[in-house]
Parts: sequence; structure tokens; C-alpha cells
Amino acid sequence: MFWLLLFLPLQALGAVDKAFGVSSDLLSKYVPSKSNTWNCLDGSKQIPWDFVNDDFCDCPDGSDEPGTGACRNQSFYCQNVGHIGSFIPNSRVKDGLCEPNCCDGSDERPGVCRNTCEEVGLAYKKQIEAEMKLRKTGSKIRAKYIAFAHKEKKRLEDIIQTFAAEIAVRTKEVARIRDIAERAESLSASALELKQQSPLYTSLITHSNALKSLQREHKKHLQREKELSDVLDSLRTGYNPNYQDMAVLEAVRGWEELAGLPHINDVRKDSVSDEEAGLDEDWDSDGLEITEDVEDEMWTAEDLENDLDDLLNQDYISLLLEHDEYVQASSESSILFDVASYLPDSVIPKYEEFKETLVSWLVSLGVIKGEAPSSADTSRSRQALTNAENELNKVVKEKEDAENELKEIFNIHGYGMEGEWKKLDGTCLRTDVGDYTYEVCLFGEAKQIPIKSGSSFTLGKFASWNPSPDVKPGDEEYYKKQVYNRGHRCWNGPERNVVLLLSCGTENVLTSVVELEKCEYQFTGTTPALCLPLDDADIKSKDEL
Amino acid sequence: MRSGVIFGVLAALLAFPDALALKANDFKTCSKSGFCRRGRALSARAQEAQASWKSPYSLDPSSVSISPDEATVKASVKSSLYPDIKFGLELRIHDDGVVRVIMDEVDGLRKRYNEAAEWALVAEPKMSKTISWTAGKKDLRAVYGEKKNIQIVVSYDPLRVTLLRNGKEQIVLNGRGLLHMEHFRSKTVKETSEEVASDSSGEGQEVLQVENVRAWFEGESEDDWWEETFSSWTDSKPKGPESLSLDISFPNHGNVYGIPQHATNLSLPSTTGDDAPYSDPYRLYNADVFEYLASSSMSLYGSIPVMHAHSADSTVGVFNAVGSETWIDISYPTKKSTHTHWISESGIMDVFLLPGPTPEQIFTQYARLTGTTALPPHWSLGYHQCRWNYVSSDDVRTVQRRFDEEDMPVDVFWLDIEYAEDHKYFIWDSKTFPDPVKMTDDVAAIGRKMVVIVDPHLKRTDSYPIYKEASDMDILVKPKSGEGEYEGWCWSGSSSWIDHFNPASWDWWISKFKTNKIDTGFSWTQSTEDIHIWNDMNEPSIFNGPEITMPKDSIHYGGWEHRDVHNINGMLFHDNTAQAIRFRGDVPKRPFVLTRSFYAGSQRISAMWTGDNLGTWEHMAVGIKMVLANGIAGMTFAGADVGGFFGNPEPEMLIRWYQVGIFSPFFRAHAHIDTKRREPFLLEEPYKSIVRDILRLRYTMLPIWYTAFRENSVTGLPIVRPHYVMFPKDPVGFAIDDQFFIGSSGILVKPITEKEITETTVYLPDDQVYYDYFTHYAYRGSSQGNYVTVRAELHQIPVFIRGGSILPTRERPRRSSPLMKHDPFTLRVALSKSGTARGELYLDDGVTYSHQQGELVWREFVAEPSAKTTRISSKDLASANPSQTVDGVMLETYNPKNAFVKEIEEVRVEKVVVLGLSNKPKSVKVENGAELYWEYIPGVPASDKKEGTSSVLHIKDPKVIVTEDWAIVIS
Repeated sequence: MFWLLLFLPLQALGAVDKAFGVSSDLLSKYVPSKSNTWNCLDGSKQIPWDFVNDDFCDCPDGSDEPGTGACRNQSFYCQNVGHIGSFIPNSRVKDGLCEPNCCDGSDERPGVCRNTCEEVGLAYKKQIEAEMKLRKTGSKIRAKYIAFAHKEKKRLEDIIQTFAAEIAVRTKEVARIRDIAERAESLSASALELKQQSPLYTSLITHSNALKSLQREHKKHLQREKELSDVLDSLRTGYNPNYQDMAVLEAVRGWEELAGLPHINDVRKDSVSDEEAGLDEDWDSDGLEITEDVEDEMWTAEDLENDLDDLLNQDYISLLLEHDEYVQASSESSILFDVASYLPDSVIPKYEEFKETLVSWLVSLGVIKGEAPSSADTSRSRQALTNAENELNKVVKEKEDAENELKEIFNIHGYGMEGEWKKLDGTCLRTDVGDYTYEVCLFGEAKQIPIKSGSSFTLGKFASWNPSPDVKPGDEEYYKKQVYNRGHRCWNGPERNVVLLLSCGTENVLTSVVELEKCEYQFTGTTPALCLPLDDADIKSKDEL
Repeated sequence: MRSGVIFGVLAALLAFPDALALKANDFKTCSKSGFCRRGRALSARAQEAQASWKSPYSLDPSSVSISPDEATVKASVKSSLYPDIKFGLELRIHDDGVVRVIMDEVDGLRKRYNEAAEWALVAEPKMSKTISWTAGKKDLRAVYGEKKNIQIVVSYDPLRVTLLRNGKEQIVLNGRGLLHMEHFRSKTVKETSEEVASDSSGEGQEVLQVENVRAWFEGESEDDWWEETFSSWTDSKPKGPESLSLDISFPNHGNVYGIPQHATNLSLPSTTGDDAPYSDPYRLYNADVFEYLASSSMSLYGSIPVMHAHSADSTVGVFNAVGSETWIDISYPTKKSTHTHWISESGIMDVFLLPGPTPEQIFTQYARLTGTTALPPHWSLGYHQCRWNYVSSDDVRTVQRRFDEEDMPVDVFWLDIEYAEDHKYFIWDSKTFPDPVKMTDDVAAIGRKMVVIVDPHLKRTDSYPIYKEASDMDILVKPKSGEGEYEGWCWSGSSSWIDHFNPASWDWWISKFKTNKIDTGFSWTQSTEDIHIWNDMNEPSIFNGPEITMPKDSIHYGGWEHRDVHNINGMLFHDNTAQAIRFRGDVPKRPFVLTRSFYAGSQRISAMWTGDNLGTWEHMAVGIKMVLANGIAGMTFAGADVGGFFGNPEPEMLIRWYQVGIFSPFFRAHAHIDTKRREPFLLEEPYKSIVRDILRLRYTMLPIWYTAFRENSVTGLPIVRPHYVMFPKDPVGFAIDDQFFIGSSGILVKPITEKEITETTVYLPDDQVYYDYFTHYAYRGSSQGNYVTVRAELHQIPVFIRGGSILPTRERPRRSSPLMKHDPFTLRVALSKSGTARGELYLDDGVTYSHQQGELVWREFVAEPSAKTTRISSKDLASANPSQTVDGVMLETYNPKNAFVKEIEEVRVEKVVVLGLSNKPKSVKVENGAELYWEYIPGVPASDKKEGTSSVLHIKDPKVIVTEDWAIVIS
């Protein structure tokens, strides 16, 4: 259990200063007791003073060997006189390599490493000065960003007020029109109900519903087809031959035939740019868009695309009422109802007025069938109400948006405590790497855009600042990292993601882009938004150098 | 039509989940391979005929010709099926008792491929001058061996070759009558022979009714004789049928091992007979099998046709030097006997019978044939960090920085295929690797190396100098026409392959790796001598070829078909690369070349790994068995990708895999491009610290590994040794392949390869004490073997030191192994029951060939008890055994004050730990020197019967020099 101290061959030990490798704050602990012993720093063991720094590990906590590599996981302190003292892992003590952090060369045997502290110190000082200068310049720009945020705040507050006033006005207007419309409709409700039972109307509604469903399904299929062709395009251009999979090759070939694309392998032989040129030309003639004969009156694909929505958005009630008017006008083709066609235009309004009076008489006398009030009036007032409501909703929405935007400006999860990021909302940074331009629009979307030609990929949309649980939201570290996720899915892989690492710089630029894992991009860049103003401590520490 | 195409595309897309697994349909089963089907049918007919079956082959006694001055005999053999066809048989007995049996067709229409052995053998074997053959009436025989107890008998009719020891049959060739060498014929031969047959029967008009007189043996049909179609590929088979069927039986051996590479148990499961675990024979046909199964007889990337047959009585071996596709059926008619049936597509019969009778002797006999593993560069035993891909030179620098920040040791950073522009190997992608030399220098500044991939497929573009030069020199493999260049599809797109069988390719390929400019074309000036090479895809892997490889009718140098040389092909590539690396600088340096494909002889100069494994527990477990199997077949510098190539291992699995990895000769972590990064510094605590400790343990033990490589370089004994090798008489251990020993060090390891394990059972095979490496707890084996239960939580590895061992280790963590060069040693002296212990230490500069001039240290440490003392001493082994020192180099003398010794003359032993002393010492001294500081912790002594923490004596810093003789006396 105990070292048997039979005698002490002192001459064999003590080659190393007992306090070698000890930092100044611990120096006072490296002194022998009166009985020339020493206690391990954790107090677990007492050893002879000669065992300290004798290149053999005696203490369970390793504290007896501050200046050698004998104990594991210790730190060695280099004094670095003329520069700043520094700790290195003691696994680097006497390993034959001069540690850059030990400019005094104390980590190796004497004579192995030159003392470079003077030059290292100078270089370090220069570097710190350069960093400070950068921060100073950057922080001025940052101050402007903050000022901008305050202006934005003011602007938004103003428009919110404006919107509020407008909402008040419009709310009243809606109420008024609704009142009119409801009155008109209550008169006609029962008549309308009857009309709606007409076979033509019910069939029209059924047709309309069927068409809507068809349109929905069609859109779904189009979307699916689009996704499939995206999948196949990225398969074609980026498929991973590691799978050594002839099925993949066949899929690519099948797709190329279907889409009228040249074979990618041939394309690769000739360089990609030729391919894209060929691709566009071929697309319409051979591609998916098959031209076909269309019967007269049948809609073309273009018509469907452009006009179907309008068709379906028709107000059928109005249509029903118009229809009624039309039918009545033609069936009661009496002179009375047709007189207008013989009259000069200038007289018609008068005539209409007269006609309505006349007709109402006739109705009351039971001569003709009554119709009250006019269907045209009902539909018109309905339309007016809808319009007024839409206008109101629009303003409400705009106000909400402005309020949300206002909330984000000084939100630590949004544009920062001081709003310093607001200015950069939507600012796009770009850099070219290899065959691509990489772009990130801050708080928006990150993209990969081929330089020559071809389709772009979304690499992700802004999701959050540094999500690490170790980083406190609002801290400086928090704003040094942004995450953009849920980009285009990779062939046989995950969705593309971007981590944007930012640091202080006088300009907003991207400095590098790497894809460390497949579809996981790491962007680095600089921005003045991260240049915090120098505080007293910074200046003091600089002066100490 | 269009909708059909769309449907097909959709179906292909929907099928992708299934595509992420082995595509069994890409590879032949025996039933889809013509010659294998014929071979198995032959075996089935023999089985059915039972006793009435008789081999049609016989030896003509009148033709026997015995060489007057060496142990060689020649004779003619004929087949009763084809009386006009001549075969020649030759048997040679080597000076170490190995018997070589050669049979070939004589004066045939064509020549069978006969160069496989030439590529495999390290040197022409020496014939025995003392053993003599005698020809008798019924057989030929020779008797030899120290006790004259080995007999080789060649029976005439039917032809049968038997090796006996002490009168017991050890190896029998053609004992089951399955020998069949399909002779060359022209395509019309069949009709002709039928006519001949019908003429002789005098019924010329009724040809159809004539019975095929050979059907009892060969079957009725010409099954795939002249053409063979597999999937969409057709093999033109211009030479027709030329397969070789041979049964090799071991009537007194119940376990067979070897014939790597297969993902299966060390003791090979049967493929025929009742309850055979596999339905197909073991296949040797080097193939890039995507996501291979963790248990299968399918072929994989490499082939070594060597088999051990083992019983408690003896071990024998067979090396079948064949380079063509070969299928091997194994059955166990009884628990104590084995039948094997080897079916090869082409080539002569060239079989070496290794008489043993111990596993050690088998290794030595096989090593004398095909060579041992040359001592690798020392740094290559460190940790290798690989990934597909480190994407830029800055990425490499960042990974290096992170390792250093976490103080995790690593020796080598690897670059996979993406460093190369358009996968034109040698040509750096300047966008991502603008400064390859500077990057390599930055890595080398910490004593580290880089390994960069160079694959054999050459992109077919004239702007690629390697392809252009090879094309101009006409040294590329040719298509079946024999004209032009074979073209296939691989990483680089449309590609061609160098024909390394062409001697013109050798010097040329070597010159490509020169780091300085050369006059004769391209040389790799964008590299340094700190870059070593990884040869992948050399089966060769060809994405659009049959079975993902080269068509068999492609043509190599000398007009040989690819079918003849397929399994040898990969070896020539990595062998030439290794030569190139060795000789690229002014001073030859030991090359490190990792190969995926290999053949008998590959071990001489390259390391291998088990290819693209999966991140599953099953693959982790079978990786150990595969490394053991490769080791016993000579391919000792082996390992499996830590972490699994495919998949994202959870931290538990990753840690267990590192625990497996540090106990493999080759230790590399690798990952597929689609996986998440998983470098050990990325782990969370506590996993990160656990892996750091695991890595450091590997580095601590490097002296043990290097010493094991020394032994292997001389004896051929594997680096990692299964139980049957260590304890050949203990039947319990014959099938054990989940625990193993490291060299002769006495370390026994059982890595954990299952999820959520906290303890495990370890088999201790002999009546000896086994100390837990970490806790010094003493476990007891017994002469019948003993199972003990040990703790195995996630941070724990069951590692034991067998009593009687002395382990030299270096305990100081460093960033890379070269930085340990001047670190002191610790000796763990694990006393045996009788109080003795022994160990060895081998050191040299680890880089150059100066060790072959004797600049090395080879020490023996011995602990011997006497009446009242235990004496631990160190003595020089090199002076005593200069001819046995290293690499098969016969040193004549050894200078104990050589230059290397001087370089490390200050390196001392800083600590000695003695386990299992019976009593507290009274004094501990360097002999004739001062009393030392020491600490004794009482505990169980080695000589006891009980378990418990052993007594431990820590001796502080005896300051004895590791290169010198010394003794420490414990009284």
C-alpha cells in the first residue's frame, strides 16, 4: 500500500524544476512540507517531494507531474515570457514537436525548439489590433442597422394606426351594405329557394361540383407528376453509381425516353452545357407535352389552365337569376316586353321606368305573373357586400402582418434584441463554388443555382438561430449560426439543409460553402450585425498586450 | 407504349426500398453457373450410385517415371470415358514435406491455364532430395517424416492420392471419384463420337436410339458447354467446357477452416447433406457484392483457396492453386470427418497437400509456399480515419484539428474517390483540393500520413494521361475479339482497365507514382512520400458487367481469358502499386497499400479490409470471424470498417465497433457518403471519453501488435489467432470464433458485438490463470476448459492476460504513433501458476528497410522463480537467432549497438507491474543495483485455485534501458 522509502537517490531525480509546467496561480501549492513531502492536489496521497516532476506518475489525480507527460490528461503551462502564458495538453510535452502555443519552447527538451515569443507576441498583437479595428468599423454599420430597426418600428406603428382607422371606417360601411342586402334578400329568399329546385340548377351545381373535384384531382396529378419529374431529373443528373444498380440506370433511361432527354452519359461525355441547350429544344416536340387534336369547342390545356377557375368561381345564384330573367324575357315575347328593341337608346331608361310601373300594375291586377323584387337587385347587393367584406379583410390582414412584423423586430428569436438584423431581412448573399452559385437570402431561402444551366435546388428555408441547447437565445453565440431546413429532398437521401455560420465583418458576404455530408451544407459568411461595439474590457485587454 | 414506360419508371421508383439490400439476382447461384451445375450433378450421380460408382480415371503403371535425383514422379493418366485423351500427372515432395499434385491434359486441342501457382508462390519450392518414390503393383508411394510416419500413396485404378500419418488417412484426393477434367474439344465432337459409337454397334440408321455411354458420369446433356447466359449477359465460351472437379476428403478431421472470403463462421458450416445451413457451395469468385449478407456462402471481394482440416489429433491443409471461379461443397458425413468437393471453371489441377501436423506447421508450410506479410510501416498499425469523403483540403485540416483538440490519437487520414477530378485518379479536383502537397505536409507535421485512393478503372478520355499512356502502350484489357480496349462502366463513367498481367505495365505503373517529374510521361508530382495508397474496386468491379465484374471472355496478356485469371487479377494491381510506393523515393520505404480484392500471395505486401459492410450488429460480429479466417489463410493484415460502411450507428454500436476495431490488425473507421459524420470527436459525453480511452488503448498496445507482426513475418502465424490454433487439442475451442488471442502475447479478447450487454461468458481453455487486463482480477481456466462470466458494460472490454505472459506497452497518450518513439515502456508481468512469465518486444524505425540490415531491437523478457526470489530479466533475442529475426531475411550477424539502438538508447522501462506474486516482497532491486521504490497490494496469488483480484506489485521507474540486458530481482 505504501511506497517503501528505503533511501532517496536524489541525484537520479530533480533534473526538472519541481514547479516546471505549473501556472502562476498554482505555484504556491508546489512547495515541500517540512518533512520534505508533498500532498497530491486532491489530497488523496502523500509522496516524497522528490517524486514531483520526476517523470513518473504517483498521484491518482496526476498533479505530481505538471511538467512531464507521465500522468494522463494533465495540462502543461508554458510561461511564454514576452507573450501570453498558455496551457497545452501534457500529451504534447516532449513529443518531439514544438507547440505553437508554447512559443518559449518549454514543451520540448532544451535546445529542440527556438524561443519565438517575441515574434509570436508581435504577430498576436497585430492580429488583435486588426480584429478590434474590424469590430470598430463593423459596429458602426451595426449601429445603423439598429437605427434602421427603430425607424422600421416607427413606420410600422404608423401604418398600424392608419390601418386601424381605415378598419373602423370600413367596418361601418360593411354593416350598412349588409343591412341593405339582407333586406333585399329576405324578400326574395322564398322565391329563390323555389328556383333553386329547378332541375337545370341542381344539375348545374352537380356539374360544377364534379368539375371542381376533377380540377382538384387534376392538380394533384400535375403536382405529383411535377414531383416525379423532379425526382427523376435529380436522379438522372445526380444518381449515385455506388448503388451499381442497373435498375437505376434503366429508370434513368426510361425517363429520358419519356421526357425526350438525351442520355445523361452521352451528355456527360460532351459536357453538360450542350445538353441543356438540347433539352429545351426537344422538350416541346418530344417531351411530355404531347400535342393532340382538340375537337372544336373542347377546351385546350391552356384554356383549362387559364379559364377554368373563372368558370367555377361564377356566382350560380346570380346566374340562376339572370337565367330566369332571360327565360322570362324570351317566353313572354309580347310587344310590351320587346318594345325596348324598337326604341331609341336615349328613351330606354324612361321606358324601363314606365315598364316597371306598368308591369306592377298588371301584376297586381293578375294580368301577368309577379316578380318581386327584381333578381338583378338582389345579386347586385350581394356582390357589393362581398366586395366590402373583402376590402375590410384585406386591411385587417395587412394590419396583422404589420403587427407581427413589429413584434419580430426586437424579438431575440427574430431580428435580435436590438433589432440589428432587421435591416438584413431579405438580403441575399452569394458565392460561386465549383459549378454552382450558392445563395442565401437571410431569413428567407437558401439555394443552389447551376452557373451554366439547369434547375436550381432549394437548400432550405430559414428555420431558426443556433438551435443548440447549450447556447442561450440572445447570446452572441446564438446569432452566429442560422439554420435553413426542409430544402429539396436529395436522391435517396434526406432533405437538404443549410447551416450558416456568421462572424463579424464589415460586409455581408458568404466566404465559403461546403457539403460536409450529403445534402448538409455549411455556409460561412460575415456580417456587421455581429460586430459588437468594443467595451472597456476589450480596450483594456488590448492595451495590456 | 408511353404509359408502359411511365409505369415501368414508377415501378422502378417504388422498388427502391428493396434496392437497399443485397441484390441476390446480380450474382449466380450454383444452379445458374453451367460448370457448377455439372459438377454438382456429377456429385449427385455418384451419391446415387453409391458403392457401384467408380472413378473413370486411372494411372498407367507403365508410364511411371521417377526422377533419379529428387522426389518427383510423373505418370500418364487416362479416363475410360475418353480413351484417346491423354492426361499427365506429376507429384512433387518438397523439402518440408509438402506434396504438390499437378494434373494437366497432354497434347490437347488447347492449353489449360497453368500460371496460377506462379503468381501465388513466393519462390520456386525446393524439392526434397532425400525422399524417394517407389512404384508398386497397385500404387506408388513415398514414406517420410522424422519418424517416417508420413506416407503419400498414389493408387493406380481408380486414381486416388492419399496422405497418411501414422497409418491414418489425412487427405484423400478423388476418394469419392468426383475427379473430372473436362478435356478440350471442338464443337462438333459430340456428333462425331455418336457416329463412332453407332458405327461400332452396327446400327448406323438409328442414331437417335444410341445410348450415351458416358451419361452415367457426365450426364445426358451438353449443359452450357458452348455458351452461357446469365441475366442479360452471354458468355461466349470459345474454349468450350474445361472445368475441373475434384473431391478432397479428410476422413479423420471434423472441422475445416479457411477458403476466405466468406461472411460466415470460422469453422465452415456445411453446404450439402442433412441440415446443411447453406444450400449453395462456397464460392470463390472475386466480386463487389453490394450490401452483402452477414451469413452466406456467396463469394466476396477476395479468394484464397487454402483450407485447414483440424482434429485434436492433427491439422492438415490443402492449397488449391486455381485462379478461375471455384465452388466448394462441404459436408460432414460424421462429426469426425469432412468431405469437400472443388469445382473450378478452368485451369490445371495444382494442389498442395500440407501435412502439418500442428497448426503452427501448417502456417509455416503455407508461408514457405506463398510468403508472409512483410513488416508493415509501424504507423499503419495506428488508427485510420476514413470517410467517403473528406470534401476538401480544408475539411481534412479541420478533421485533424478536431482530433487534436480532443486529444484523440490518429495516424492516418484517408481520401476516397471524390478527391479526383471526374474520378480520374491521381488528378486532384483543384476546386476542392487546390493545395494537395501543402495539405499532406500539414498532416505530416503531426507525424501523420495520408492514404489516397487509386482505383483500377481508367476514364476513357485522352485528356487523362494515365488512360492515354496505357492506351498508347496497348496495355489495357481487351474485349473478347482480342482487339482494341475493353470498355465498361464504373465511377469514372466509360472506363478501361490496365492488364497487369502484361509485363509492360509493371514499370510503367511504378513510374506513375514518382513524386518528381519523369521524362516518360505523367508522374504524380502533386503528391509526397507521406501519401500511401488504397486500391479499391480491383475485383474488378464493373457496374455494367456480368455479376458486376468483367466478362469472362475478355482477353488478357498471353491470350488468356479473364475466366482463367479472374481471382488473381486484383492481386496484381495492388502488388504493382505497392512496388511503386516502395520505390518512388530515393530511399525505399515500406509501402502501405490497402486492397479490397486479394488472392493467395496478396498478404506479402498489402493489407485488406472486409469491404462494404453494414452498420448492423450481425456485420460487426461476422467481421471478427472474417478477420480470423483471412488470418489463417495468410492474409493477416486485415480489418473491417469500424462503424459499418452503410448506415448511421447509434453511439452504443459505434463504441462496441471501436472495441472490435482496436483488436483487429488493421484498424480503420470508414463511412458511406450518405451517412452522417461520425468521427469520434463528434460524440457526446460520456461516449466521447469512452472512445478516446479505446483509441488510447490501441496506441498503448502498439508494441504488442508490432511484435506480433514480426513473428508473423517470420513464421506466418497469424496476428489474431483463433482457439484451435492456440489450443489445437481442445475440441471445445474448435468452433469458437468470437474470442481470440493477439499473436503470442497471451492477450485473450472477447469483443462485445450485441446490443445492451452488461456481462458476457468467456471460455478459458486451459488450466491457467487469466488476469483481467484492467482490474487484475484472476480468473481460472481448467484442463477441460472453463466458462467464466465477466462484466462487459459499454465502457468495458473483456481483455485478459494469460498467466505466463509479459506485455510491453507504452502508456503515454500522444497524437500519433511516431510521436511515441522516445516514450518509456511499462511491463505487465502476469505470472503463471508456476510463477513464470515470458514476453517479447520488437522495435525498429518502422519506416525504412534498415531492419533488414539488422537495425532493430528484439528482446525477450522472462520472469523466473527460484527458491526465494523472482527474477525478471531482459535479453537480446536477435543475436541468438539472427536468421529468425524478421521478414524471412536471414541476418548473418546482429550488432546490439546498431544505429537504431543508438537512436532510442535513452528509452527506459518506467514501470513494472507484477501480477500474482504469492507474498509481499522484502526487497526489489535492479540486479547489482539500488533498491527500487515499489508498492505491493495483497491479493490472490497466481498459484492459488481461487478467483479474486490478484496481488499486484508496482515497481516505480527502475530506469532500466529497453535496449539493454538487465534484471530486476524480487526477494
